[in-house]
Parts: sequence; C-alpha cells; structure tokens
Amino acid sequence: MKPNFYSILLPVSALLIFGGCATHTQYVETTGPRTIVTTDINIQDFSYAAEDMIKSLLASGALDKTQIQPAMLAISRIVNNTTQQIDTDLLIKKIRVALNQSGKALTTTTMGIGGIAEDPMAKGIQQEKEFYADKKEPQRMPNFTLSGKIIEKRDRQDDVRQVTYAFQLSLTNNDGLAVWEEEKQITKQGKRGVIGW
Amino acid sequence: MIADKRVITDDTLKRKVSIVGLNEGMTPGGFLQVQIEVLNQKNSMQNFSYRFEWFDMNGMLINTPTSVWIPRQIEGQETLSITAVAPTTTAKDFRVKFMENVRKD
Repeated sequence: MKPNFYSILLPVSALLIFGGCATHTQYVETTGPRTIVTTDINIQDFSYAAEDMIKSLLASGALDKTQIQPAMLAISRIVNNTTQQIDTDLLIKKIRVALNQSGKALTTTTMGIGGIAEDPMAKGIQQEKEFYADKKEPQRMPNFTLSGKIIEKRDRQDDVRQVTYAFQLSLTNNDGLAVWEEEKQITKQGKRGVIGW
Repeated sequence: MIADKRVITDDTLKRKVSIVGLNEGMTPGGFLQVQIEVLNQKNSMQNFSYRFEWFDMNGMLINTPTSVWIPRQIEGQETLSITAVAPTTTAKDFRVKFMENVRKD
C-alpha cells in the first residue's frame, strides 16, 4: 500500500511533539568551560575562588614560617552570608586538598569549633592512644586557623541585574595575628528576562 | 609576540589576543611561578578562558584541584597579566592553554 500524506503526518507529528520534550543530558567537565552559568553561586565559582586563594597563600610564604613543617592547620568558622544555602566545604575542601598536596600544611580533623571534631573516630583513637601511653605527650596544637566569609551583593540598573560574590579568607597564627588574608570577587550580570529576581 | 611551545592558543583566539610576555620565577617557598602578559589586538572586548597544567621532573601531569578553566575578559587594546603558582614544589614545568569562550551566554 502506498503511504498517503495523512498516514505520514501522524507519526511525524508525534515524533516532533514528544521528541521535543525529550531532554538531552550529557557529562561536562566540572572545571571546564561548558558548565552552566547562572547568577547563583555555581560549582565553578568555588573552583575559581579556591584557585586564586591557593595561588595567593602559597606565594605568600606564610605557611613556611613554622618551626615544624608541614604546618598544622585547623578550620575555623566559614560564614555563609549569602541568600543561598551552600556547603562551604565546596570551597574549603579544595583549599585543604591543595595545601595537603603542596606539602606545606596538614589539616587536623580532630579539632573543630566548640570542640566538635570533624572525624569523631579519629579523635577517639587519639584520646585512647594518649590514655594507654606511659608518658603523655602534649598534643600538638595547630599553627594556624583558617576562617572566612562568603558575601553576596546584588545591584540592578534598568533591566540589568548584577550579583557579586566576595570570598574572604584569613589565616591566623596562634598569636592571634592574621598572617595572610585574601579576597576574591566574582561578578555576574544577567537581564531580567533570564533570571527571576 | 612570544612563541613558546608551552603556551597553546586556539587559532580563532590567536587572531585577536596574543601573548606578549612570559616570566618565570620561584616563590620564597620554592614553588614555580609564572606570569603571562596578553594583549588584545582588537578594539572590542574579548572573552577567553585559560588553564595551567603542571608537570613534575619526569614530565608527568600533576593532578590538582586548582587546575581549572578560568574565564577572563580583556578590553580592546588592553594588556592583562595572568599569574599562576605551581601546586607543589615538585612541579618543574608547565603548559598553559588559551581558548575562546565556548559559551556565549
């Protein structure tokens, strides 16, 4: 049977209607240039900020001034002062990994704000080891603490909306002096039709 | 214009933005430090991204969380200095890739 116009129209229309609804999902490199850019803090913003922070910290030589190398680092409070719910480890973990790889600093996981350990089991093992040791050695204290803040500032002019994220970090030695400080600002612009604010 | 095989630029961007300077040094802590000066030869603003890769003495790539494509803008006829610090003291060489932004949003 020779297909007529209407017998072809129906499946083609169905393909266009339902095929148009299909999503096309693909992997992209997390640190690559094809990631989605929105006015929220995107995953790549943490990467840009961490890259700048590490570059500045390693170049400063602040971590080289301790008697025992590598220096010992404890993570203090990282304040999220943005309108978004974000996990600040997206920034801090990258910095920790980079410092660990650099050989300049190791981060303690048994000390935290309010005495809460990041790794409670490691803290338990450490305490048990101290308990059973014949001679209790004084526990090594961190040479530095790392604290910081992420701030959001929004502006608009006509239909252009702008948002700036300021990533601020301070490295404080055990004399209470900030021996290294850095700020990285990331600004994005969008038009009202594209974004919902 | 600097011709260094460690600096790789895509053909489209090469016609607009050129590398005019390259400095290498060491930080006090023994990290390799690189500064690259780029010039926008056009009168209009250009968007591009770059990424540094670091290699140890055996030429092996050092995997680091800070090796990311970083977008930058450069105004017409402007020069821009891009700096990078190696992630470890074992990094003895580098490669930097420049490319025109693939996203137009």
